[in-house]
Amino acid sequence: MKVYLSIILAAILTNNFVLSKFLGICPFLGVSKQTKTASGMGIAVTFVMLLSTMVTYPINKYLLEGLGLEYLQTIVFILVIAALVQLVEIALKKYMPPLYNALGIYLPLITTNCAVLGVVVLNVEEGYSFGHSVANSFGAGVGFLLAMVMFSGVRERMESSDIPEKLKGLPIALVAASLTSMSFLGFTGIVEGMLG
Amino acid sequence: MKKKFNIKDILFPTIALFLIAGVCTFILALTNSLTTGKILENAEKTKIETRKMVCPTADSFSEDKTVTVDSQQYTYNEALSQTGEIIGYVFTASDKGYGGAVTVMTGMDVDGKITGVQTIEINETAGLGMNAKKESFRGQYKGKTGPFTVSKDATTDTQIKALSGATITSNALTNAVNKTVEIYNHIKGGDNNG
Amino acid sequence: MAEKKNSLFKEFSKGLIDENPVLRLVLGTCPTLATSTSVESAIGMGLAASIVLICSNIVISALRKVIPSKVRIPAYIVVIASFVTVVQMLVSAFVPTLNEQLGVYLPLIVVNCIILGRAEAFAGKNSVLASAFDGLGMGVGFTTALFCMGFIRELLGTGTITISLLNNGNPLFPAIFGENPITIFILAPGGFFVFGMMIALANHIAQKKGKKIAELHSCKACPMFENCTSPDKEVKE
Repeated sequence: MKVYLSIILAAILTNNFVLSKFLGICPFLGVSKQTKTASGMGIAVTFVMLLSTMVTYPINKYLLEGLGLEYLQTIVFILVIAALVQLVEIALKKYMPPLYNALGIYLPLITTNCAVLGVVVLNVEEGYSFGHSVANSFGAGVGFLLAMVMFSGVRERMESSDIPEKLKGLPIALVAASLTSMSFLGFTGIVEGMLG
Repeated sequence: MKKKFNIKDILFPTIALFLIAGVCTFILALTNSLTTGKILENAEKTKIETRKMVCPTADSFSEDKTVTVDSQQYTYNEALSQTGEIIGYVFTASDKGYGGAVTVMTGMDVDGKITGVQTIEINETAGLGMNAKKESFRGQYKGKTGPFTVSKDATTDTQIKALSGATITSNALTNAVNKTVEIYNHIKGGDNNG
Repeated sequence: MAEKKNSLFKEFSKGLIDENPVLRLVLGTCPTLATSTSVESAIGMGLAASIVLICSNIVISALRKVIPSKVRIPAYIVVIASFVTVVQMLVSAFVPTLNEQLGVYLPLIVVNCIILGRAEAFAGKNSVLASAFDGLGMGVGFTTALFCMGFIRELLGTGTITISLLNNGNPLFPAIFGENPITIFILAPGGFFVFGMMIALANHIAQKKGKKIAELHSCKACPMFENCTSPDKEVKE
């Protein structure tokens, strides 16, 4: 149990995908103007991460590794993710329109989100078991959601501040991201400290 | 919105995609068969080079041997001289650092004196903990017999001067080295008993 | 003939300045931030991504009449992922240190939006030669931007520049801040900060030249533009 907790906490706080691994920067900058859309995107990414991990783990373990085809990992993973995202989108649209309106609209953007492929590849690289992989993906997703929501809050406030002309728009957003990421640096080592 | 179901609309794209994927897979398989040998060779070469670095006087190394210390299994190699005599050992051990496991390879001579320490796996903070990779830190173990302790300003032979701003990394690396000292003692103890 | 040469040069040069993928189109931000901690890994990432970009641009434009438009995105992804894997295998066979430095970001070139973006926006509609030059220009633009970021961050963050091929892997010059470099620059916050400052500078230059500043998210350059349903999507020119 402790192992799972430490994997999840490490993925959320110390190895935050956005703020320390720089994965998923495009949606982080692109879909963070309002807290509502930011949280929608975050939840959708978490969901796709979990689903992709659950599907790619057996494929990698039994099909690719079993047949000695590890070199096809990248191509298989990205295709599985792309197909999965499409399927989820179609299913949501047809059977759960309210949920589709809340989350489904972000799905096409997720296919090329490097955070999803990143978490799948990292799980394989770390040699995690199925349970550990799922825990890591969950943590990564929640970490992404946390970073998105925090950052969108900062940006909503920035709208009304007096910003130097040359820094308006993207530059000041990146400076804000820099400060947000600095606050996450403070978490380094905390998980080991908490769980021994 | 409803379209008429047309078999051609589905079949043609499917075949095209299938063909592209097939050709790509073939190219990948080809590249793979051309590069695997080289990649394995590289890995083997790095392994031997690292061993040579921590144990510079050795001529060759024995096959992997295993030993169990505190119910944990470790792999080690004996360093051999030109005549095949055992002149030292190469151990690998790890400990938890700031950003994950810190794994070190330690070389020792037959008396347990450390001949070199190299980091195999280290994922610490750049510019702080990562300085543990530098010779100025790793070199502190050389020529000494463990176990070691970490302190602010090393005054005795078994004290290691901590990296500034990275005590956890310094501790992790030192703990890992101490583990290799333990393995050494275990092997030596075993030899004496046997 | 001269005109043709001219237009090819234009395809090449637009990626360098006016449409620099990193500083003007704001694409490929993840690898830009992640691998610019040192000049060496920045150049390594730039070259690896450029090779994939040029090759995939050539192949995709050559196949543009064969690929059914319904499955073009998956087809592009397959082509790109294959080149990425080939590059990955070649790098780990011949430049293993680079493989170690780039780590997970090497396979992640697959989802570098610059590459899929160019496939969708350019290679799928233009001739092989034009696409090759487009890829070359974008690749050089990407590498240059990465190099600048890497140079600033490594110089301030470690006080010196170290390239393993030059000067026996020793620092090229003595550290400028002595024992205490501004380490934060090679950490994550420094990456965001330097990137922000570089965009500000690029915006400043663009404004002087009478061009508009870089969009916060340049939706039009995003490979998923046509399928995008996000409420933040910007349809305006």
